[in-house]
Amino acid sequence: MTHHSVRRGFRSRLSWLRAMPLLARLVTRTMPWVPLITGCLAGSCYLAVMARIASSSHWPLGSGYVREAFIPAVGALAFVVRAPFRPLTQVTPVPAWVTPVGHVLLATPILAATCWLQLRIAAHNATLILGHPPANYPLIAQLTGWCAVTVVAAACVDRSRYADLGGATAVPVSAAAIALAWYVPITHKLLAEPPATPRGLTIAWYTVATAALVLTSAAVGDSWHRYARSLGRLLSR
Amino acid sequence: MTAAAGGPALDAAQAAAAVGDDGQARIAGRPSASRLHTVLGLARVEATLLARSLLVLAGLLAGVAVIWLAIRSAEPLWWSVGWRIGLGQVLLGMTVLVVAQLAAGRARRNGMTGLYASFPTTAGTRTLAQLAGLVGAVPASLVLIGAVATVVQLSGAIGTASIATLAAGLLLVIAAGATGIAVGTRFSHPLAGMLAALVLFATSDNSHLPWAAGLWLYPWASYGDQLSSLPGPLAGYPPAGAHALELAGLAALAGVVSLAVTARRARARGRLAVAGIVALAVICVAGALQLRPIPTADLNHLVSEVTDPASAQHCTSASRIRYCLYPGFGSQLPSLEAPVQAVLAHVPTRPTRPLTFRQVAGLYLPDSTLTHGHPYRQVSEWDVRVQRAQANILGNFAAPSTDVYLPVGSWPARGGELADARFDLALAAAEWAVRIPSQTIASLPSEASGGPSRQVPLACVPLDQAREAIAIWLAIVATHPSAGALGGGDGRGGLRGVKVSLAEVTVGASHVATEIWAYPGSTTTAVSGPGLAPQTTVAGYLLARAMTSLPEQKVDRVLTAGWPRWLNWHSTDAQLAATLGIPMPGVPAGLSQQGNPVEPVCTA
Repeated sequence: MTHHSVRRGFRSRLSWLRAMPLLARLVTRTMPWVPLITGCLAGSCYLAVMARIASSSHWPLGSGYVREAFIPAVGALAFVVRAPFRPLTQVTPVPAWVTPVGHVLLATPILAATCWLQLRIAAHNATLILGHPPANYPLIAQLTGWCAVTVVAAACVDRSRYADLGGATAVPVSAAAIALAWYVPITHKLLAEPPATPRGLTIAWYTVATAALVLTSAAVGDSWHRYARSLGRLLSR
Repeated sequence: MTAAAGGPALDAAQAAAAVGDDGQARIAGRPSASRLHTVLGLARVEATLLARSLLVLAGLLAGVAVIWLAIRSAEPLWWSVGWRIGLGQVLLGMTVLVVAQLAAGRARRNGMTGLYASFPTTAGTRTLAQLAGLVGAVPASLVLIGAVATVVQLSGAIGTASIATLAAGLLLVIAAGATGIAVGTRFSHPLAGMLAALVLFATSDNSHLPWAAGLWLYPWASYGDQLSSLPGPLAGYPPAGAHALELAGLAALAGVVSLAVTARRARARGRLAVAGIVALAVICVAGALQLRPIPTADLNHLVSEVTDPASAQHCTSASRIRYCLYPGFGSQLPSLEAPVQAVLAHVPTRPTRPLTFRQVAGLYLPDSTLTHGHPYRQVSEWDVRVQRAQANILGNFAAPSTDVYLPVGSWPARGGELADARFDLALAAAEWAVRIPSQTIASLPSEASGGPSRQVPLACVPLDQAREAIAIWLAIVATHPSAGALGGGDGRGGLRGVKVSLAEVTVGASHVATEIWAYPGSTTTAVSGPGLAPQTTVAGYLLARAMTSLPEQKVDRVLTAGWPRWLNWHSTDAQLAATLGIPMPGVPAGLSQQGNPVEPVCTA
């Protein structure tokens, strides 16, 4: 490594540091706060209403309701990964992946807070009806997996010809992927409880989340749109 | 996806061009005709885009998959399946809602409101065209109905399809699309459409929603009804015509709201307000019609059909076997007769007591979706009658009957479930043929009853009785179930995959731990004898399986030669095995999975 390249790297790191406040402001301003918060609040309100009905009717609010209530938040997350004006930001010195990654990082605490709130609502109802709250760790793993699958679907769609409708496309794609994983017998054994044990289910969903994270990193770091060739062209070759 | 993407901006321009280069001048000159022409042109484009949308196609596939899961193992009763189709329409409606919302909100979402405003067509015209373009969702809905109807008809449908129910499903899709347009004209973000779709889905899963009496008022009540256990269609349950009217009103209201958002002129708004009020009135009238109680005479008739099936059923006799089925179920007769006749073909002498296969219907009358609006005393009276009839079925202390009961809705249409049900039916006939009683009156110990010891009918266990193995063998040769259906087996005499539970069988003063075999169909309750069916033992099953390795003629000869001996409950499995010249299979240890009930031995 030459003296010149060391100096260049040091200068580059300094320029990065100097750009951080500006980047943070940009990422915060372009963050789709309204959809994310709307999604989180809609699900939480739904769960609160259901918990109220369940408590008055004396039936326990199962984990299925928490899953249902988290769907709007997961749906909103699909719109977070989108990088606005990506063709423009791609030619700037700042890497294009900074904005989507920043958005996901900003969304994480909000999603975590929503998850915590919804689990508290469910636990409150379970304590009233059953006398003890259920174990939450498999559910948290499952919801984490759902979020990761949605993020990777959104990131991949953002690199495709459907980038303009990234979130709107990613939601049904991820919903279909999760539904298939849930109902196909082979994956059902691993990802649904029962038949999977809570521990096995937790490990399986965190594995899915990790794999999705790796795929997301690859997708957001990709500089090019990937337009699928038409079937006719492929066949003609 | 195309309906929501950037394409339609071009399509709108194309449609405007279709009006003619001098379109604007013509609009000024002949406003009504030109506007209609424009609306129709745009609607055609929107309908094409909607029909070609990948999301709508995905909704159609998801709808078909969900209906298939709901009806694949169910009896194809049209009065139940017709309503279940609506569950698929809900999924299709959700995707149509999302696509319509994306299409309606694209101008604002893409920041092209100004560009769209420069077109000859107004926002109101475009909205009207989008509403008319919902016709594009009709093919998908009709395909869904047609696919399910074909499957149901090929499965031997019972009853006829209700046009009002099927039309209500179609109207649900249209109403969902109109709602999507109403949402899209106000909220352009795609998440708004998705939240609206989730609301539609949440209301369809209304098992958790309050006010059961108003079940039919939700857009589509997918669960919480008793349609699959009714012996025939019940007028007003569900109130399909009134529900279709409600959905039409909802579609109209959503259309009015979406037009009102884009209307600029006071006169147009006034007309829309009137239309909105009319739509609301229609919804209210439809709601009131749906909340009307089912007529007392109809419910009386239903209760009579359930409590006194003989008064309503048609009975057919063949070879001392009677089949009593509710009207409309006659097409199932060959399917019921086949396994029974196959069993009887191997029986040397039939019992003198006739055997009757009788359909029974379960009914839960405190369910307010069924009995709302009727006095509490009347409902209680009906309920008492139904419970008394069910108690008679569950246990006849004085004289155990020779009726075998087939619950309505539990005879599968196809697949493994049908094979299991046929085996279950054949086993019931075989147990009758070898005189195994369906139950025994026994003393329930005080520790089990939670009070003083008392006499109750209990399922008995033909422990170490040759006639049990014969009954199982008869059922196997009559129905030829797959090894997997019987419980697999690893080919070395083991029982891998066999469902087994443990029971303590009372023999004299002692209890004998016995492995009970869960035969095919035993858990799906397709067939049930009076009270609890006899419990088949693993030892009996293993001997029957060993018997199947012998030629049928050889086993037939041995059974015919000593038939009275084999009917005696003192004849053991070992004696039968020795007579047939096969070794007595041993029961592998450590099979039991659950349960430890005390059962009496069958001694009759």
